[in-house]
Amino acid sequence: MAETQQMKKFKTPSKGTPRAKHPISLDHHIAPQTPQSATPSAINLRRSHRLTAATPEHRPALSSFNTPKSAAKTRKICEDPPSILPTETSINPASPPPVESRKKRKFQEKSAEKRKDSRNVKCKRAADRKVKKKVYHKKVVYDGGEFSAGHDVYVKRRSDASSDDEDPEVEECRVCFKPAGRRVLIECDDCLNGFHLKCLKPPLKAVPDGDWVCCYCVARKNGEVMEFPEPQAGKKRARTAREKLLSSDLWAARIESLWKEVDGTYWFRARWYIIPEETAVGRQPHNLRRELYRTNDFADVEMESTIRHCFVMSPREFANAADGGDDVFLCEYEYEVQWHSFKRIAEIDSNENDGEKVVDNDADWNSCDESDSGSDFNSEEEAAYENEKRNRLSQSSSLRPVAANSRKGQIFGLQKIGAKKIPENLRSRKQTDLEKAKSTLLLATVPKSLTCRDREMNEITTFIKGAICDEQCLGRCLYVHGVPGTGKTMSVLAVMRNLKSEVDAGSIRPYCFVEINGLKLASPENIYSVIYEGLTGHRVGWKKALNLLNARFSDENKCRKDTRPCILLIDELDLLVTRNQAVLYNILDWPTRPNSKLIVIGIANTMDLPEKLLPRISSRMGIQRLCFGPYNFQQLQEIISSRLKGIDAFEKVAIEFASRKVAAVSGDARRALEICRRAAEVADYRAKKTALSSSDASGKVMAGMADVEAAIKEMFQAPHIQVIRSCSKLSKIFLAAMVYELYKTGIGETTFEKLAMVVSSFCANNGETFPGYDTLLKVGCKLGECRLLLCEPGTRHKLQKLQLNYPNDDVTFALKDSKDLPWLAKYI
Amino acid sequence: MPSRHSFPAALSICKLQYNSSFSLSIEQLHSQFLQPFSIYTASVSNPGTDMPAFSARRHSPSSDPTSETRVAVTPRKSRLRSDPDAAIASPLRKSPRLCKEGSPNSSPKIEVIRKCLKSSLNLSGSPEKKQLSEDFVERQTWDPREETQLRAVNEALHLSTAPPNVVCRENEKNQILDFCSKCVKEEKAGSLYVCGCPGTGKTLSMEKVKVMLVDWANKEGVQPPDVLSINCTTLANMSEIFSKVSSEIVFSTFTWHEDDVSVILVVADELDYLITKDRSVLHDLFMLTTMPFSRCILLGVANAIDLADMFIPKLQSLNCKPMVITFCAYSKDQIINILQERLKALPYTVFQPQALELCARKVAAASGDMRKALAVCRSAIEMLIGESMLSSVDGTEDQQKPAANNMTSNQVRIHHVAAALSKVYKSPVVDTIISLPQHQQIILCSAVKLFREGKKGTTLGELNKYYVDVCKSTMIPPVGILELSSMCRVLDDQGILKLGQSREDKLRRVTLNVDGADIVFALQGVRFFRNCLK
Repeated sequence: MAETQQMKKFKTPSKGTPRAKHPISLDHHIAPQTPQSATPSAINLRRSHRLTAATPEHRPALSSFNTPKSAAKTRKICEDPPSILPTETSINPASPPPVESRKKRKFQEKSAEKRKDSRNVKCKRAADRKVKKKVYHKKVVYDGGEFSAGHDVYVKRRSDASSDDEDPEVEECRVCFKPAGRRVLIECDDCLNGFHLKCLKPPLKAVPDGDWVCCYCVARKNGEVMEFPEPQAGKKRARTAREKLLSSDLWAARIESLWKEVDGTYWFRARWYIIPEETAVGRQPHNLRRELYRTNDFADVEMESTIRHCFVMSPREFANAADGGDDVFLCEYEYEVQWHSFKRIAEIDSNENDGEKVVDNDADWNSCDESDSGSDFNSEEEAAYENEKRNRLSQSSSLRPVAANSRKGQIFGLQKIGAKKIPENLRSRKQTDLEKAKSTLLLATVPKSLTCRDREMNEITTFIKGAICDEQCLGRCLYVHGVPGTGKTMSVLAVMRNLKSEVDAGSIRPYCFVEINGLKLASPENIYSVIYEGLTGHRVGWKKALNLLNARFSDENKCRKDTRPCILLIDELDLLVTRNQAVLYNILDWPTRPNSKLIVIGIANTMDLPEKLLPRISSRMGIQRLCFGPYNFQQLQEIISSRLKGIDAFEKVAIEFASRKVAAVSGDARRALEICRRAAEVADYRAKKTALSSSDASGKVMAGMADVEAAIKEMFQAPHIQVIRSCSKLSKIFLAAMVYELYKTGIGETTFEKLAMVVSSFCANNGETFPGYDTLLKVGCKLGECRLLLCEPGTRHKLQKLQLNYPNDDVTFALKDSKDLPWLAKYI
Repeated sequence: MPSRHSFPAALSICKLQYNSSFSLSIEQLHSQFLQPFSIYTASVSNPGTDMPAFSARRHSPSSDPTSETRVAVTPRKSRLRSDPDAAIASPLRKSPRLCKEGSPNSSPKIEVIRKCLKSSLNLSGSPEKKQLSEDFVERQTWDPREETQLRAVNEALHLSTAPPNVVCRENEKNQILDFCSKCVKEEKAGSLYVCGCPGTGKTLSMEKVKVMLVDWANKEGVQPPDVLSINCTTLANMSEIFSKVSSEIVFSTFTWHEDDVSVILVVADELDYLITKDRSVLHDLFMLTTMPFSRCILLGVANAIDLADMFIPKLQSLNCKPMVITFCAYSKDQIINILQERLKALPYTVFQPQALELCARKVAAASGDMRKALAVCRSAIEMLIGESMLSSVDGTEDQQKPAANNMTSNQVRIHHVAAALSKVYKSPVVDTIISLPQHQQIILCSAVKLFREGKKGTTLGELNKYYVDVCKSTMIPPVGILELSSMCRVLDDQGILKLGQSREDKLRRVTLNVDGADIVFALQGVRFFRNCLK
């Protein structure tokens, strides 16, 4: 750790590339280029003059390994006027365009109004002239900076954030607020602030060896309060891009590929970097201050939103970068966003084949070549030229099959998958209100605001805040109970979201939050390993995790490194009840230990779970309870209408009807939403049918009472009625005989023999043929299989006892008006 | 005094030393403790011939277990007889005063307690009470709105902060300490079982005893015992306890010079988690203390009174009946005492004495659980804060209140405690029933009607019939039987009904889990049900 931390002692003022007032875009690719695209601005002119001297030296070297054809072309270009020469030299036919650029793709994601007004009018024209397609570039000069694949850039996080506007490229001294100038800035290894050697108290003569920590950080570590000096009134301390990135106001990304959209704007594929705080485990003690993680998360970003370059390095490079300026970062691991796992980048790279190495060799060779190519490497065109050459070389080397495949698969593979986008115009048909209603009423849709649970949410908030806002952070326990569908989990999670935003805003201290659903655990004991993984990111077996957690929560003397309070949310707590309840005992015992800083929130349906537990556990559980009662109909109505706000799809009475119906039975919000969604579907179906038949879709269809009624009937009506109605003739006779027999005797069950007698008499009296005992027995068994009857298990003999599984009334109701057997009604 | 370690013992320890793996099994433990024993039984098989070579050794504690255990480990049964030791060993009965007045060697501390108890008992009008309340008045006033003060109070009342001195458990503590120190001094094994209800300070006393024992040993110049405390719930496997004990032993034998092998004090909390089907783990654990050369003091802590009794027949024959110390539930006075002790450290009064007394009385009457009492106090403080927040929001003119009024308003008063208590002890049944959806109320109503006829339980199908009847009589469309059974499950979750297990949904057994009168009372408010229930 010390070795890597040592790397950056000096802080030279970061040298950003000078910015041109008007952004210029240089097209360095095979796209047929208008000469105007390289508008001779002042800089360009100056540089190009300088280059003209250099170019002749280059030619022979270049053409010596070019194909004759390309050499011919370069020579031809040489005859062009010198002002456009530098740009043209980079048009190198030897570098074949990536396969992707040949594909026609229509990206509609970019809206025209986002575009900056007069940017690259000429470029656009050029693009318009040719076929509409995306053009991939090796390198783009944009806004004065030069970007190519493999570079790392800062990306603006929000387009509207005002804090992103100013971008000091030169870091200021933290004490005197003057830029570094000629004097040396020294960087503190702890807070990363820069200081003039003179401004320190006592002033330093020279930069010390080894780690150096500023006096402010030393004071803070000793527990004293020592504030940084405030800037003069009216002046705001300019935050550097590095500071913004590390406080997650900016993003950093690696450019994977660059292209020009059909509308002329430049885009790139970004591979995001994230700071340790944004990972699932948070900043760990071993993280360096300047450490970033490379993710496997990609996005297409417009060049517009980039700020400038930053430099993300491997640990080896980082250690050597003694004075790389302020924009140097370290990246050792790749972070998988989906699985929250880390992998050393070196390992990933070593898994790839030696194609990588070949490229490296080329680069080395290339750098040798560079040494004689001239001194002014900083010049833009020169760099462009060199870069282009290198690109071409690497391209040629990657013609080797293995290397090419691995390279391409890595960079472009994801793009290929994502390319199958459905064009927006195909589904641009405006959603009707009913369709919108259907989607907002889905259970998966998270409502924008939670209604009707304000009191409970307040209580949870005060509970959690009371615990974590304390310095001491005393352990606590809260038991939340209530019937299903009353918003228990949702309220707790909403509270946690609010707290998260408060943590982001900096008003409360950070905490770690572990959410566990008891249903998702393979066994109750597994909760230990899940908790431990949530806290530290390491996955261990549950026995080991139990020991580690015990040590963690009971160590009073040892000062733990991670002193953040921990909030543990256990959904479906009752599933953790084992035979000896040891799991619950341990979890509820930890908060009572000193310095545990653990807050447990348990959620379950059962009201009297604590009373059902062993007394020693309920004694530890404390008395904090929170009950979520079933919703009444006003609340359900409010929930539904708040979801449907702005969508005119439901009649008001219909909502009230649905909510009253649900509130009378269960008060389950899920069910109310389901009914309304189903009603919307019914209404939608109706609307489409009328539109088809009458072809003039003038009348606006709203879901009304009838639709809700239909939905309720569908939902509440038991399936057995349907089954009885649709079963065979003989089965109906059988069931009717059963009801008749049961009614006559007044006993709950009968035997098959008796029933057969009744059936045969039914058949005889009404002109049906009696099918025989065997068939009747088979029918009885079938009815037993679909659980309309309860048969005695196993044997099919005459004496088996039969029972109706459903109430007699239901069967009667279902059989009363059957069309094929009208005579059944008189027996029922 | 000859070396206490005869050759076989040293051999076995050497064996242990060469045993590379630390996870020794119970057999190895046995072998360590047993080997000397086998020699002795062989040599002292004839009790009449007292060989002079062994006479010196007989003073070593483990060589003669019978004579020693009679003194230290008082058997439970004989405690009732007039034995001077038994008086100490006897647990506290209803009133702690009665016990203490009878005991001849009551320490000055106990006198202090008695005074405190008296004062809190005679709160109604004794001069001591006035003195007490004046003591309160002298203190600074407490402002619940101030962060630091609130934090201090909360910390003082939190479960995790162990009070500096454990009051009201001196007697038990001294007993345990006496037992342990005797064992340590004589370097012999012994077992002790501490039982009592949850929240009566068992674990807390044990922690104190551990510290005090080490202090005592240092003062006396005796080798302090190695303390190993295990909470049995944290063991992944029951027999893991032996590997922990043996690793402790191995550790101590590595650092062992000639004579001073220290005694191992094993404190096993929640001992009943070690009960297996054949009870072998627990039995083996107690057996450790019966081995002649063992220097293991076992202190077991659990809730059940009869845990030790389960082993008495077996252990009695081996002459190692553990001494039992019972921690009674706290009485009202003790709770007051403890709460005051915790609050004494604070420079301001937080509770009105009456409020504390109410809390103590209620908790003592219900369970005597100290954790509950502390929780009630904390939630009472929360109520006070909520109230003061409200008043500060309401208006600013309240700030001009007279000082005396202000002082009492900043204290936790009786009604705060009452509200907190009602949160804990009030049965939520009536409120729950009132807030139930209508159809679930109808189910309860029909169940009450059904059970009025003298039945104790019924099936779901039967209940459905009654339910449909009630619905029909009130012109409400009934829900289907599937819906009914799911509603019954919800009621079961809420603890109002009890559903039995059955293969068929229809045949599940239904019983009422709450009193029928409660339901009638709750439903009376609705006119609809009043007619039904008539």
